[in-house]
Parts: sequence; C-alpha cells; structure tokens
Amino acid sequence: MDERQIVAGCLKGATGSYQEMVEAYGPLVLSVALNVLGNREDAEDVFQETFIQVFKNLGRYDPGRSFKTWLLTIVYRRSLDMIRKKRRFSEFAARAKFEPAVMANNPGADAGAHEPLPSRFLTKLTPKERTALCLWANEGYTARDLSEVMGCSAGTARVILFNARRKIKLLLENEHGVLQNC
Amino acid sequence: MVSCKIVNALYAAVPSRLFRDFLIRAHLEKCAGCQARLVSRHEAEALFIKPEQVGAAGDLWQKIDLRAGRETVAPRKRPAGLRWEWAAGAATFLVLAAASLWLLRDVQTVAVRADYARPADRFEINYINVGGAPAQAYIYQPAGSDMIIVWAGKNP
Repeated sequence: MDERQIVAGCLKGATGSYQEMVEAYGPLVLSVALNVLGNREDAEDVFQETFIQVFKNLGRYDPGRSFKTWLLTIVYRRSLDMIRKKRRFSEFAARAKFEPAVMANNPGADAGAHEPLPSRFLTKLTPKERTALCLWANEGYTARDLSEVMGCSAGTARVILFNARRKIKLLLENEHGVLQNC
Repeated sequence: MVSCKIVNALYAAVPSRLFRDFLIRAHLEKCAGCQARLVSRHEAEALFIKPEQVGAAGDLWQKIDLRAGRETVAPRKRPAGLRWEWAAGAATFLVLAAASLWLLRDVQTVAVRADYARPADRFEINYINVGGAPAQAYIYQPAGSDMIIVWAGKNP
C-alpha cells in the first residue's frame, strides 16, 4: 500500500490504515527522534505524541506535499518541545537540589537524560544541526527539503547543515589524530 | 589555496546567515578542497541510528494503540460463576437503593447547589510577581501525570 492509500484509509477512519501508517513510518519517526534527542525514553514519547497528533490533524495535511516531510516536521517540532521541556526541568531540578523534600517526590525523574547519543560527537551539535545532518545522511534530504521540515529558509537550512558537517569532520579528524598519537 | 582561506575567514568573521549561504553556494559547495573539510554523507551515516535498527514495527503500533485508548487485545472473558455473582450483587444494590428512596421520600433535604466549577482544560499562568517584581516561572508536568509543578524565582 502506498502513501496516498494509507492516508486516504486513515481519513476514512479505517483502523487498519492507522496501523499500516505506524508500521510504515514508525521506524523512521523513532529513529529521527532518537537521533535528535539521544535517549530512547524521550524518543518513544515523541514517537507516540507525533502519531497521535498526525491522526488528529490528518485533515489538515495537504496531499500536494510529501507526507513523509509533513510527518518529519511534526517529529522535529515535538523533539524540540521535548528538549525545551527537559531544559526547563533541568533548571528547576538544579534550583531544587537544596530542597530534598521536592526532589524526594521525583526520584529518577531525570533518568535517561544523560544516556549517550548514538555517537558522542552528536552531543557537540545543536538539536537543529543534529536534525539537519540526520535527515541529510539517512534520508538524502536537500537544503530545500530540510527547510520544509525545520520551518526556515533553504539558505538557513544550508548554513545549519554546513556547520554540522564541518563540526563533525573536525571532531573526527581530532579523534583520528589522538588515536594516531597514542 | 588563497581563495579558500579568504572564504573561510569571511565565513568565520561574518555571522550573517544570508552571507554565509552566499559563500556556501558561491564557493564552499563547489570547491573540492573545502568539501574535503566537511563530513561526507557516508561518514555521517555511520553516526546515526537507522530506521531498520529501532525495532519491530508491530511493537510500535501497540504503544500508539494503547496510548490512543483503543486496546486491540480482545477483552478477557469472565468465568460464568463470576457473572452470576455480579448479577446478584447488582440486584441487591438496586433493591437496597429502592428501599432507601422509599423510606426517605418524606425527609426534607437541604438543597445544595451542586454548581461546582469544571476542572480547567488547560493550566495557565499569566503573570508571576515575587517580592514586587516580575519573576521567572517554570512549569513542569511529568509525562502521564495530572500533576503540575510550578517553580517561581526572582529575576537575577
């Protein structure tokens, strides 16, 4: 079943089509969320929120556009929301560390926040750079495609991608140099 | 090359995205030397988790299905004996309720207006003031919980 048939089925309310959509695009959504967020727990939350939002708002999808790009736009926004939420909570937790009563109510609330990213180099990139590099490397997205997902101009997407590629190359070269010196 | 050095210096010196985009399109994208200083698609691919590495798609659907409240698993059948117990319990409750209503039919009850406010659909704070000055507020809601934590602190 192709993209259009799945979307049409979902619009008609066929439960089977919802399942087909998750099975067809779920791995893509989860992998992008995982690459941007860096931990499985948050990525699964984003994955679920994304599909629930897609099911609710499928009527707003413009069939003239790529469904995959529309879906990835939602994943991207949800992932950034998750990062902001985590950041706000980290600030709260940092301030609350002298309040044992508050912290005792949230044991392990920050668990998973420090799990390593797929590659430790990716932590050196901003979430936007990680998204751009991930979609460029895994999905073959161009600057124009990235601009649709990230809601910016193609020029901005090109600069973000360029910076990400340069940062990672430097890190790879540095590590290679360190290994050679050992 | 001299031109590469100039372009790279300009790129670093001028933080305008418009200008940087121009430099990328005009030189950095086309120059083989500059391209060699960028990670290739093949190298970058190795850093990321791919869709086929994240697990079975069936498991993913179950998570969504559970969250959306549409349980796909067939409901468990109760043993027949248990159904009789439920029926007997319900009948007893109905008889007791009818008897109570009949006995209390003449008792004057204090009219209490059950005009409670509905719980708010969304939580909203418009303004937070600490010590007479606008303060920073952080709102956190743990996933899957109705609890909302509000943390307010004075602006530094």
